[in-house]
Amino acid sequence: MLELTGLKKNYGEITALDGVSLRVGEGEKVALLGPNGAGKSTLLSIALGLLTPDAGAARLLGRPPREALAAGRVGVLLQDAGLPDDVRVGDLVAAVAGMYPTPSILADPELEALAGRRVMGLSGGQRQLVRFALALAGDPALLILDEPTVGLDVDARRSLWRQVRDRTVVFATHYLAEADDHADRVVLLAGGRVVADGPVGEMKALVGGTEVRLTLDTMDEPRLRSLPGVHDVLVEGASATLRTGDSDATLRALFAGFGDARNVRTSEADLESVFVSLTGKGA
Amino acid sequence: MRSFLRFEVRRALSNPVNLVFLAGFPVLLYLLWTKVLDLASGPVSMVSMATYGAMGGALFIGGAIALERSSGWLRQLAVTPLPAHGYIVSKLAGGMLAVLPSVVIVLAAGALLGGVRLPAATWLALPLLIWAGVVPFAALGVAFGYSLKGQSATIAMMVAYFVLAVLGGLWLPVSRMPGGLRTLAEYSPAYQAGSLGWRALDGLAPTGTSVLVLAAWAALFVLLGGWRYRSAAWR
Repeated sequence: MLELTGLKKNYGEITALDGVSLRVGEGEKVALLGPNGAGKSTLLSIALGLLTPDAGAARLLGRPPREALAAGRVGVLLQDAGLPDDVRVGDLVAAVAGMYPTPSILADPELEALAGRRVMGLSGGQRQLVRFALALAGDPALLILDEPTVGLDVDARRSLWRQVRDRTVVFATHYLAEADDHADRVVLLAGGRVVADGPVGEMKALVGGTEVRLTLDTMDEPRLRSLPGVHDVLVEGASATLRTGDSDATLRALFAGFGDARNVRTSEADLESVFVSLTGKGA
Repeated sequence: MRSFLRFEVRRALSNPVNLVFLAGFPVLLYLLWTKVLDLASGPVSMVSMATYGAMGGALFIGGAIALERSSGWLRQLAVTPLPAHGYIVSKLAGGMLAVLPSVVIVLAAGALLGGVRLPAATWLALPLLIWAGVVPFAALGVAFGYSLKGQSATIAMMVAYFVLAVLGGLWLPVSRMPGGLRTLAEYSPAYQAGSLGWRALDGLAPTGTSVLVLAAWAALFVLLGGWRYRSAAWR
C-alpha cells in the first residue's frame, strides 16, 4: 500500500530524514510516532508527493504518489490544510466527494449538524472534523492522517477511530496512548531515522513487558539482575525497578531468594517507557 | 473536476463581498463623477465604471488564489484527485462568471439613476464587450496570485489595479492627459478594454487596433501567468 525506500531530505543544514525505509501492507494500522521535529510530517509529505526527497523514492498503492492520488483511492488528512471560509460545510464536503470515483459522505451526527454552517464560524475541533470528512470523501483504500485528533474532544476522537477501523491506515501522532490503542504496528522516528519498527506488543517487549518495583533492606543489584526474565535493573536507594519479559518466573524467584523483598508491585510497560528508553526523551 | 467547477461557480456568484466591491463601488464613483462633480458625460462614465469594476473582478481572481495558497487549502486540494489545471480552470470560470452580474448592475444604474438612453442592441452588446475586454486581466491576476501569497498579493494587486485603471482613462478620460502619457495610455490594456464599450456607445464596432492590442496583452499575461503558475503550482 505504501512503500518508502531510502528517503533522505535536508532543509539547509537540518537533516529531516536520514535514510528512512518503510513498507505498509494492506490492512495494517501503522502509527508513526516521534517527538516534534522527528521527521513525521516530512515523511508523510514525501509519501504524498507534496515534497521531493533528496534521495530515495516513494510509492503509493504501487504507483508514484501523484498518480495514486489522482486515481482517488487514498484519503489524506493534513495537519496544516486550510479550508475555504466562505462556504457551507455540506457544500464543501459534497464538492470534494464529487471528485472521487466512489464518493462517500461521512455519516456522523456532529458533521450533519454542521452541514448548513459556514466554515468561518467553526471551532478548531469542528474544522478538524470537516478535514477528516474530506479525507474519507472518496471511501479510500488507504488513509494517511497527520495528527488526526488534534483539537478533537473525546466523543469526536472515538467517532474518528471507529471510522478508521476497517481500513489501512498510516497515522502520525505524538499521543502514545493513541498509538497503543489504535495501531497494530508502531514506527518510531527520531532524528530523521527509524529507531524502532514493530508490533505494539514487540515494542513493549523491547524494554521488558512488565515492570516490577520492590523495596529491599539490603540491596544486591547483581543478584537482582540474575533473576530469570530480567533484562534491566534500576536501583534508587532501597527501591529497585526490574524490567522483565517473564514476570511470573521473576516473581517466583524473587520471593524464593529475597526474604526481605517488600512493597512488590507490577505494572505493564506502556509505550511511554518504550519511547523514553529508545530515544532518551519523553514525547 | 465537474463537482469542483460547480462549487466554485456557486461560491463566486453567492459571494456578497464580490458584488459590493465590483458593482457597488463603481456605481458610487459613477454617481460621483456625473451627478456630484459633473466631470464626465453619463454614458461614457457608465461604461468606464462598468469596465473598472469588471477589471477588478477579473484581476482579483488571482487574489483569491493567493489567499488559498497561503491558507493551505491548495495543499488539501493537492491530495485529492482534482488535477492542478482543474483548480485554476474552476477559479477562472467562477470568477469570470461573477463579473457579469456586476457589469449589468453598473449599466442598470446608468439607465435607472443616470438616465442613460441607448438602443436595445447597444444595451445587449455592452455587457458582452466589457466582459470580453477584461479577460486579459484574469490572466494577469493569476500571475500575481502565483507570485505572491496572502495579503501582500492583495496589496500589490490593488496598486496594479489602480495604476492600470487610471492610466487606461477609466477614471478620467485620456483626452485630458498630456501628449506623451496619452500615447502610452492608449496602448494600455485598460484603455483598450474600455474602448470596446465607448465605441459601442456610438454604434461602432471595436477597431482592429483594439483587438490586436488586447490580444497582445492577453498573450503576454497568459505567458506570465502560466510561467508563475508552473513555478508555484500547489505550493
